[in-house]
Amino acid sequence: MHENKGNVYSLYKCRVLRVYDLTDDVKLFLFRFEDPDIAEKWTFIPGQFVQLSLPGYGEVPISICSSPMRRGFFELCIKKAGRVTSKIFELKPGDFVGVRGPYGNGFPMQEFEGNDMLLIACGIGMAPLRSVFMYALDNRWKFGNITVINSAKYGKNLLFKKELEAMRDVAEAENIRIIQTVTRDPDWPGRIGRAQEHIRYANTRPDKSYVCLCGPPQAYHDIFTKLIEHGYNPKRIYVTLERRMKCGVGKCGHCIAGTSTFLKYICIDGPVFGYYDIISTPGLI
Amino acid sequence: MRYVKIYNEKMQEFLERLKNYGKLYAPVKISDKFYDRKEIDDVKKISFDCLRTIMPAKKFFIPPYEELFEIDIENADYKEKIEETEPFVLFGLHACEIVALRILDGVYLDEFPDIYYANRRKAGIIIGLSCLPDEYCFCNLTRTDFVDIGFELFLHELPDGYLIRVGSPKGHKIVDENPDLFSEVKKEDIDAFKMFEEKRQKLFKYYGSFDNIRYILELTMKDKIWDEEAEKCLGCGNCTMTCPTCRCYDVQDIPDIDGKHAKRIRFWDSCQFRSHGLVAGGHNFRPTKKDRFLNRYICKNAYFYPLGTSYCVGCGNCTYFCPANINFLENLIEIRRGINA
Ligand SMILES: Cc1cc2nc3c(=O)[nH]c(=O)nc-3n(C[C@H](O)[C@H](O)[C@H](O)COP(=O)(O)OP(=O)(O)OC[C@H]3O[C@@H](n4cnc5c(N)ncnc54)[C@H](O)[C@@H]3O)c2cc1C
Ligand code: SF4
Ligand code: SF4
Ligand code: FES
Repeated sequence: MHENKGNVYSLYKCRVLRVYDLTDDVKLFLFRFEDPDIAEKWTFIPGQFVQLSLPGYGEVPISICSSPMRRGFFELCIKKAGRVTSKIFELKPGDFVGVRGPYGNGFPMQEFEGNDMLLIACGIGMAPLRSVFMYALDNRWKFGNITVINSAKYGKNLLFKKELEAMRDVAEAENIRIIQTVTRDPDWPGRIGRAQEHIRYANTRPDKSYVCLCGPPQAYHDIFTKLIEHGYNPKRIYVTLERRMKCGVGKCGHCIAGTSTFLKYICIDGPVFGYYDIISTPGLI
Repeated sequence: MRYVKIYNEKMQEFLERLKNYGKLYAPVKISDKFYDRKEIDDVKKISFDCLRTIMPAKKFFIPPYEELFEIDIENADYKEKIEETEPFVLFGLHACEIVALRILDGVYLDEFPDIYYANRRKAGIIIGLSCLPDEYCFCNLTRTDFVDIGFELFLHELPDGYLIRVGSPKGHKIVDENPDLFSEVKKEDIDAFKMFEEKRQKLFKYYGSFDNIRYILELTMKDKIWDEEAEKCLGCGNCTMTCPTCRCYDVQDIPDIDGKHAKRIRFWDSCQFRSHGLVAGGHNFRPTKKDRFLNRYICKNAYFYPLGTSYCVGCGNCTYFCPANINFLENLIEIRRGINA
């Protein structure tokens, strides 16, 4: 879906419809394509990202966090992190942005079908996984048991905390388990500890599960170890990676990672990689 | 392949006629040590023994600076700045540099084709020229010392002229439209061509297969040679700027003073710069000079699958232009010590 009038860097104009505060420094934006043709056609795979342009300020890669089943609209959850994202934070309903994409490989959702899904998010990592989760809810019959482990340092940093909390009880009846945990918050009434310490509470059957992991790469090795201890199949573990990105289409070279035997562009070969790619490639995480 | 010959006496006229096909650019000597590829008025100034120019041919296809869009900030309108590129002729590209352009093609004209690059590539007419390697060249190791496609004409030096390989429809057109310049290739020419090739092969410094270099590099990344060499590096980025296949660029939006308009520009970047791997919040994916230094060795020695060669085409530019005298090839030979010893 990259038929941008022959120029891959061309942007689709999008209007901000709604803005929600998720945490102190993360907002959720709902966008609509101005061009009805694009609105109708544009779709993506969970785990893919867009290049979002704020006219006059610049362009940033952002994961799509809504479900591809909602045509014409999409949501981005954006953390105020630097120059462009700070300015994006000031956007109000009615404002315009430019969008191109979707880019990246995304999660192999079709391969997941018929299996359980364990989604493990640390911090802002919940953004791409929310898309996977929403997609699974929209296609509930295609997947087995689902567990979402949403983790952050403090309760106030948990993304989509209310949304997930609100569906918790109903979800259990649908074989969907929601686990929200924090590592450093003495005031948090819920679960305490890192995401990996809660894998044991998941409702997913290790031998029938796919795992999607998104968080700071430093946490990945420890989470891998725990997953394998619990009997999850390494072949079925997927993670998303981050790099500086300028083009999203394998040109600018900023996201190149890996070694001389496995050189990858995170923007087009990723951002989703399998466990074996990660462990055989120094420098990928 | 179609072969024709041109005699030395006709070369000047040939170069003049090339101007009929577009603006002519060719290497000229600009100082004691350096050559640059410049627009040619007087064809007598063209250098035939230039091995490397201060800027590789990539600059004609990915300019060091260019505007991508004009932005109307209020309306979030992005108007693409795509100019028609007039045809131009690049004379005197050596085999490695033509392979380098094909590598850039693989990157820029993949499933997300870059139209800015594509337009220039369509307008460029490539005239290749044979060469004799110096001590910096190692295109024989990278298997890029001979090129079969990617040029209109390729000129191979003969004692009394050039044997020309015709490599594209445009190349045929040039030959057909100028029958007075070209002659048939004779037996002596073929012998002379073979002798030249043989002589050329003997001038390379190292021989053997280099295909395992990417594995050896991966296995020796912790060796202390990399600490020592990275220590010498100034992080100036000369090596990547002069590399015919390095192509990293940065993008920025530059607002006009009126605050209502802006330009989206792109310009060459280098993985040797600290900012290359820096992300918001201060995390850097290549925080140390050694990370950045090794990154170039890793990237250049990785396999470029569409061509079956590495990204490095063995031109030696990065070594030739390094102010710290860091020798790319010798470092690779050093980590291979023991092989072909
Ligand atoms: C595939 C992918 C998905 C992402 N998804 C999200 C998301 O869903 N929500 C979210 O809040 N953030 C996400 N990020 C991170 C986000 O792109 C950066 O926070 C953002 O680019 C920072 O830009 P800035 O101008 O505010 O910061 P500055 O530090 O001022 O950065 C200047 C420029 O550098 C580049 N850059 C800086 N940091 C990053 C970075 N971390 N990743 C890539 N490029 C960077 C950008 O081109 C940026 O414009 C994602 C990054 C990637 C690579
Ligand atoms: S040209 Fe030499 S000194 Fe400059 S960045 Fe490259 S290796 Fe380092
Ligand atoms: S890495 Fe050095 S030798 Fe190899 S192509 Fe680039 S400049 Fe030439
Ligand atoms: S973001 Fe430019 S190459 Fe991946």
